[in-house]
Amino acid sequence: MRNLILLLFLFSVVTLVSCNNKPTLQKYFVENTESKDFVAIDLGSDIINTEKMSLTDSDKEALKSFEKMNVLAFKKEDSNKNNYNVEVQKVKTILKDTTSYNELMKFGSGNDGASIYFVGDDEHINEFVLFANKKENGFAVVRILGNDMNPMNIMKIVGLIQKSNIDLEQLKPLQNIMK
Amino acid sequence: MKKIVLLLLVVLPSFIFAQSTFDKFEDKDEVNSVIVNKKMFELMSKVKIDAKDKEMQQYLTLLKKLDNLKVFTTNSTKLSSEMKSSVSSYLKSNPLEELMRVNSDGKNVKIYIKSAGSTSIVKELLLFMEGDLKDTPTVILSLTGEFNLDELSSLTERMNLPGKDELKKASKK
Repeated sequence: MRNLILLLFLFSVVTLVSCNNKPTLQKYFVENTESKDFVAIDLGSDIINTEKMSLTDSDKEALKSFEKMNVLAFKKEDSNKNNYNVEVQKVKTILKDTTSYNELMKFGSGNDGASIYFVGDDEHINEFVLFANKKENGFAVVRILGNDMNPMNIMKIVGLIQKSNIDLEQLKPLQNIMK
Repeated sequence: MKKIVLLLLVVLPSFIFAQSTFDKFEDKDEVNSVIVNKKMFELMSKVKIDAKDKEMQQYLTLLKKLDNLKVFTTNSTKLSSEMKSSVSSYLKSNPLEELMRVNSDGKNVKIYIKSAGSTSIVKELLLFMEGDLKDTPTVILSLTGEFNLDELSSLTERMNLPGKDELKKASKK
């Protein structure tokens, strides 16, 4: 029995260590934030303007679980057409790693597509990943990071976002891409 | 020993094949696809919205029982016939029971199910709709899980799935 545990432990150490060498979205974001082909936007949880709202305790808890949102978008132009395919492929390969990214759903029509993934387990979601690509315009990866998010909290946050007057000024660069 | 290996060699591809028969349509340019995984259904069923709403409750209990939903639609003649042949080859390797077939308004709808024993529990549902490709596309809809047919109409209504009228009829039987 003890041997078995030891073996499992060793195994998990090995897999964990090997995980570190794999490309992750985190690394991908870091590598490309500075690139001129990309637009990067980071939003904190304070984007949801809660000052004028009366929050219930469960609302507060939901907000606490949400930390920040990172957006990385590739703006496709004539000059970087070739990069587009390379970068899309890179992101797809990262997301294919089903041990870290659980695919929730995806939809698409050939050139355009969107998919949603999460990291963690059902009740303790640490990250949501949205990946959307449009052949004419480019693609975007959105990471929603938090601590122990659960489906209930997500719904709450979405509700709060709708209620609050979100400062959309910060998202302007994205609009230009998706036009 | 040799026999077992041989058996595995024969059986395994059919498993792999069964999984990916329709997945090949996913990346085609002229195909619209929607894929919802078990995890999504699990997460959705955990959201307690308005538990008083009876229809909603029914919907949430159904979500828990679903595994995978795949929908592929196309308006291309070539892909439409490809879909048709892959459905028939799928049915050859995975015999399903024909639940109903409807032929109306230029579309030809067939619904197949795999039931668990003699009960009314359905393990797999496959809908194939051959459209005229102008107004109605050709559709493959595959749903797996362990659900009751009459529960299904709440899902098709809410998700606005293609072929929902036919599924509604089927679930009323």
